[in-house]
Amino acid sequence: MDLFIQQLVNGLTLGSIYVLVALGLTLIYGIMEVPNFAHGNMYMVGAYVTFFMMTVYDVNYWLAALIAAVVLALLGILLERMVFHPLRNAPSVNKFIAALGTMLFMEALARVFWGSEYRQIPAVYDNVINLWGIIVTEQRLIVIASTILLIIALNWFLKRTIIGSSIEAMAQSREGASLVGINVNMVAILTFVVASSLAGAAAALAGPIFLVYPSMGSLIIMKAFVIIVIGGMGSIPGAVLGGYILGITESMGATYISTDYKDLVAFLLLVLILSVKPTGLFAKGAKQW
Amino acid sequence: MNRKKRLVMLCLGIIFTLTLLVAGCGSPKETSNNSGETETKTETKTINIGWSGPLSGGAALYGQDTVLGVKMAIDEINGQGGITVNDQKYSFNLITLDDQYMPNLAANNARRLKLENQAPVIFVPHSGGIFALQEFNQTDNFLLAAFSSDPKITERGNNLTLRIPPPYDMFSEPFSKMAMDKFGKKLALLPSTTAYSKDWAVRIDAAWKKLGGNVVTNIPFDYNKETDFTTYVSKALAAKPDVIFVGGTAQPSAMVIKQARQLGFKGGFITTETGNLTRMETLISAQDLTGVVSILPFAKYDDPGISTYVDKFKSKNSKVPVWENVWNYESMWLIAKGMEKAQNVDDPSKIFEGMKQSLPLNGDNFPVELKGIDSKGGLMADSSAVMYDNGKYNNSVKIPYNTK
Repeated sequence: MDLFIQQLVNGLTLGSIYVLVALGLTLIYGIMEVPNFAHGNMYMVGAYVTFFMMTVYDVNYWLAALIAAVVLALLGILLERMVFHPLRNAPSVNKFIAALGTMLFMEALARVFWGSEYRQIPAVYDNVINLWGIIVTEQRLIVIASTILLIIALNWFLKRTIIGSSIEAMAQSREGASLVGINVNMVAILTFVVASSLAGAAAALAGPIFLVYPSMGSLIIMKAFVIIVIGGMGSIPGAVLGGYILGITESMGATYISTDYKDLVAFLLLVLILSVKPTGLFAKGAKQW
Repeated sequence: MNRKKRLVMLCLGIIFTLTLLVAGCGSPKETSNNSGETETKTETKTINIGWSGPLSGGAALYGQDTVLGVKMAIDEINGQGGITVNDQKYSFNLITLDDQYMPNLAANNARRLKLENQAPVIFVPHSGGIFALQEFNQTDNFLLAAFSSDPKITERGNNLTLRIPPPYDMFSEPFSKMAMDKFGKKLALLPSTTAYSKDWAVRIDAAWKKLGGNVVTNIPFDYNKETDFTTYVSKALAAKPDVIFVGGTAQPSAMVIKQARQLGFKGGFITTETGNLTRMETLISAQDLTGVVSILPFAKYDDPGISTYVDKFKSKNSKVPVWENVWNYESMWLIAKGMEKAQNVDDPSKIFEGMKQSLPLNGDNFPVELKGIDSKGGLMADSSAVMYDNGKYNNSVKIPYNTK
């Protein structure tokens, strides 16, 4: 039983990071209708920013996390303006290729600048807490709690603010949104800002537990992509639920089935969900590609 | 319905594409340092030495470490005026090609190095590439300087392969004994999913059982592609081991050790020789690392010859040398000696014979004594096991060279 709960907590930590990355991916999908594969590398850059802030500039952890989110927001604007804005009227496949290209470009650039070696963000909250036999480090609790707070904040932002509602409106219908006077350009930039800073936050949260290296982004983007397929492309609750499901399935699959088949379990789940609900758990009408 | 189907198909297609991308990120890159610096004023001729290994991707740092060793030796040899064979002076030129750790690229590179550059010797620092090259090095006629401790390299009856570092089957028993004596008889295996690491685990498993211990669990996982290791560590600890075998490279292994300590594990660890202790020391606390059994880091040997080399290396490369540097450095020097001895620069079997006759070597350019080359092509040198103890390396045990 102890092992079960321990692995549940481990799955929740992993799931939290998946959720934050998948949320950004699903938000951008909502307005662009193409998965932004470069999003995983935004997460990677976020981790490097946090790393350099903390090691080179000796910045406090929370401030470093904030800086990572801000830098990523700026990078998000750059990405939207330079790559996706010029392609706004192009066929989906062009955006698709642009996203893949940006992904490869960012990873190669990171290798050139920062090298391929693993780095580790110095852990600040490294104390171990023993809750009735379940062992958690403070950092892991911070990851789980911060993710919940960020989900609540994002929900509030999307449902209760005008800007947030305009993002949702545009995700529902680009033409409709511009007809009622929403500035489509601004909303696109804003979406990238929100999504990218979420990736920055995820990286800053995960950094002290995981390792930082150039290909960390392409590993997580695959998982995030599976999550938004499970949850329904473009759906926010889908990304949240999907992220936790995948995190916990991976952890439980590795414990009770086999570590060799861990990914198999996760992808089998994907196949199962897709065969029952081909549009994902929370589909709001499949988008046409 | 049709649209739904298309969506599903597209999604699966994308996942497939992404898997491929993750598996083979990066593009081929070639680095070469023969940028037209051929000697013209004297009649010194140039011998090209080939090297194919990872210069990009996750193992780039490892690749560079091995290159540094060969390069340093070549610089020194050329600095001394090169070698003289049949009254002709020769200098060396190193040509490095990136293979991203992939056997097929290593094979392509080797063919190029042989055809375009007439390299009589080609260095390869990974077992996959070595096995690929062993398929044709005897027909294409070049000496394969194999930098990998995989014992299978010398078991294939290849007459033109020099295996450089001591084979890892030398380590399984002394490592097991050291850890078992101190911590107890229950072992958990956490190998990586690479062939190298899994095979290490098999040999540790055999040695452990031979010494009367029992293996309580075996959990292979990919050290390089996993985001979080706690799941595996928790599972291993649930089997209540006294010692854990950690099979990854230094950085991920250090993470596994740290997480096991955080989860309350008080026992010992055994690492492969890629689990470099000096590198791990910079990543986790000395307290967490105490109880880790591995090979004694090169720079920690208490030996005047080694200290001289360490200082020389530090002043040139501003970092502490590791085994990857020194083994390749000595091998390059040995190749030069072999060419002089055989009075031949292009026939690999004669050069190899010359190398065998030059041994044993110790002193100046051979800080670690090379005793000889065994009948299967393995370079014979002793090694040492050590159990890390709060920043100290003083309980090392010598492991004499042997092959099973």
